[in-house]
Amino acid sequence: MKNRIEEKLEHIREKGEKAFITYMTCGLPDMEGCGQLIKAQEEAGTDILELGIPFSDPVADGPVIQAASYKSIELGTNLKSSLNLVETVRKEGCEIPIVFMMYFNTILYFGIENFVKACIKAGVDGVIVPDLPFEEQKQLQDELSRNEQSPILIQLVSPVSRDRIPMLLENARGFVYCVSSMGVTGQAAEFHRDVLDYLKQVKEVSKIPVMMGFGIRTYEDVLPMKAVIDGCIVGSHFINLLEEHEYDVNAAKEYCSSFRKGLNM
Amino acid sequence: MSSAYYGQFGGQYVSESLMNTLKELETAFEEAIRDEAFMKEYHYYLKEYVGRETPLYLAQRLTEKYGPRIYLKREDLNHTGAHKINNVIGQILLAKRMGKTKVIAETGAGQHGVATATGAALFNMECTVYMGSEDIERQHLNVMRMEMLGAKVVSVQSGSNTLKDATNEAIRTWAKKAEDTFYVIGSAVGPHPYPKMVKEFQKIISIEAKRQFLEKEGRLPEVVMACVGGGSNSIGMFADFLEEKEVELIGVEAAGLGIETGKHASAMALGRPGTLHGMKSYLLQDDNGNVQLAHSISAGLDYPGVGPEHAYLKESGRVQYVSITDDEAMAALSELCRLEGIIPAIESAHALAYALKKAKIMKKEEAILLCLSGRGDKDAHTIEAYFSGRGYLN
Repeated sequence: MKNRIEEKLEHIREKGEKAFITYMTCGLPDMEGCGQLIKAQEEAGTDILELGIPFSDPVADGPVIQAASYKSIELGTNLKSSLNLVETVRKEGCEIPIVFMMYFNTILYFGIENFVKACIKAGVDGVIVPDLPFEEQKQLQDELSRNEQSPILIQLVSPVSRDRIPMLLENARGFVYCVSSMGVTGQAAEFHRDVLDYLKQVKEVSKIPVMMGFGIRTYEDVLPMKAVIDGCIVGSHFINLLEEHEYDVNAAKEYCSSFRKGLNM
Repeated sequence: MSSAYYGQFGGQYVSESLMNTLKELETAFEEAIRDEAFMKEYHYYLKEYVGRETPLYLAQRLTEKYGPRIYLKREDLNHTGAHKINNVIGQILLAKRMGKTKVIAETGAGQHGVATATGAALFNMECTVYMGSEDIERQHLNVMRMEMLGAKVVSVQSGSNTLKDATNEAIRTWAKKAEDTFYVIGSAVGPHPYPKMVKEFQKIISIEAKRQFLEKEGRLPEVVMACVGGGSNSIGMFADFLEEKEVELIGVEAAGLGIETGKHASAMALGRPGTLHGMKSYLLQDDNGNVQLAHSISAGLDYPGVGPEHAYLKESGRVQYVSITDDEAMAALSELCRLEGIIPAIESAHALAYALKKAKIMKKEEAILLCLSGRGDKDAHTIEAYFSGRGYLN
């Protein structure tokens, strides 16, 4: 079976569309509600879903995701229950590509080999590990490469990656996650000053779709870059919206479907 | 194995956006320590401003009472009251050399924050110190000192509101502002090259102590010991003795209320390898791999991890790591006050407590060399509260 992320992105490319990706913290408002949100987003047309596995020390995240992580840990969310959730929604027929966004210690503690096996069993399609830069990825990549059903390790690129870009992208699969602003997730849409040049530079080198994330709220935010990128990722703003609407499934659906429409107008 | 590692420990577990910053830092650091002019300036400030070299003092009444000769390396006599300033001078000079105009730092007890604020004032740099809101409450005196020195103290309210969270926040800020901002890390922790850099700027402790000891005794000591939180004074104290295989090296962690109670800061005793603050090392964690809170009466040892080189030195067997409870440390603190007229930092009292235990199985003609990393003025409130039976602020 082909990886769901690659399959979905190929389909989008054929249609000449841009992808819309959301991030939400796993286990909120609770596991059941989180499962409903996943399915609702699939219906609303969200192309790929990032599920944040909460960690006690999320250094790459801003205050919104920190608070959500903390809340979710308090509710008892862990890697095991997150894997169970994915397995459950897959059994219920949900086919939206799911990417785990998580910190390396969570994987290390679980055991790298166990982790990869559990992802395959549950139906996790990708992994983003913001504190595992290219130079530290070998151990995880080696384990992932032992099975073609393994999730894809998504590569992050930042505005200051510069000369590192070719190395980062050489064997990258799925999509490239372009961090559009410096620092952590969830800052206002004050994009790094040379963001357009930087996105162009990435796009030139990349053989796979280029997605832009960090600090995006509305589809208008991405219009200036639309010609360059293949899609965008909304995280902190989406969590704020869910919080505001008390995790109402319809509010999430409406936001996702109108964002995706706007993006592809 | 890459130079970023000590055995399986160390590395650079940071976001992609910091990788070029770390590379620039590493290059600048390696160039600086090979540049005579840079090292001359560093030693100039250590002598003229910090007040080095610090004495190596034979604690006579302790020696009389406990048997073996007990020598104290008096890092408590440094300007700002602890060894922290050695490293700050080195890192801020490096920051200047790299053209940075701002420095940031994390602090727990406030000692590293005060040292950084001091260095920033001296070298005319804008300084912001991140401190957990809990620590701000319990270390109010040091907050005032930092502000007097012109630093901005930012209260961090996330997670446990203590040192580990202040460190997270400093890393976040750094990732955002690395272009003009230098992150001064105070402990032997963090991503490469920080542990190496902190060791480089703290090894002066053992270079001096070894020479002083040789001058006084004409030989090397049997035992060298120091307390270990993140591990900056201890790595400095061990550095020049690592190759002297006949010298026994001992690192003393905080056992808090006792390791068996779960309320302790002994990452080496009960932690397992994990990643936090940019490094792989021993780390206190719960069953989900979330970082557990450390616990110690000493704010400076209250850290759930430990520097990666220490993790390696434990695994290789070169250094033995032991732990001392709050009560044992406080008894030793009291002993040093009464017998020698020295009020030590509670951190340093942990090393002393183990020295007094160890002394019992040593011969009279043998010697212990101990790093007295800081003075206890900052701990006056905690000490008073402890001895008056009101528990303690931590």
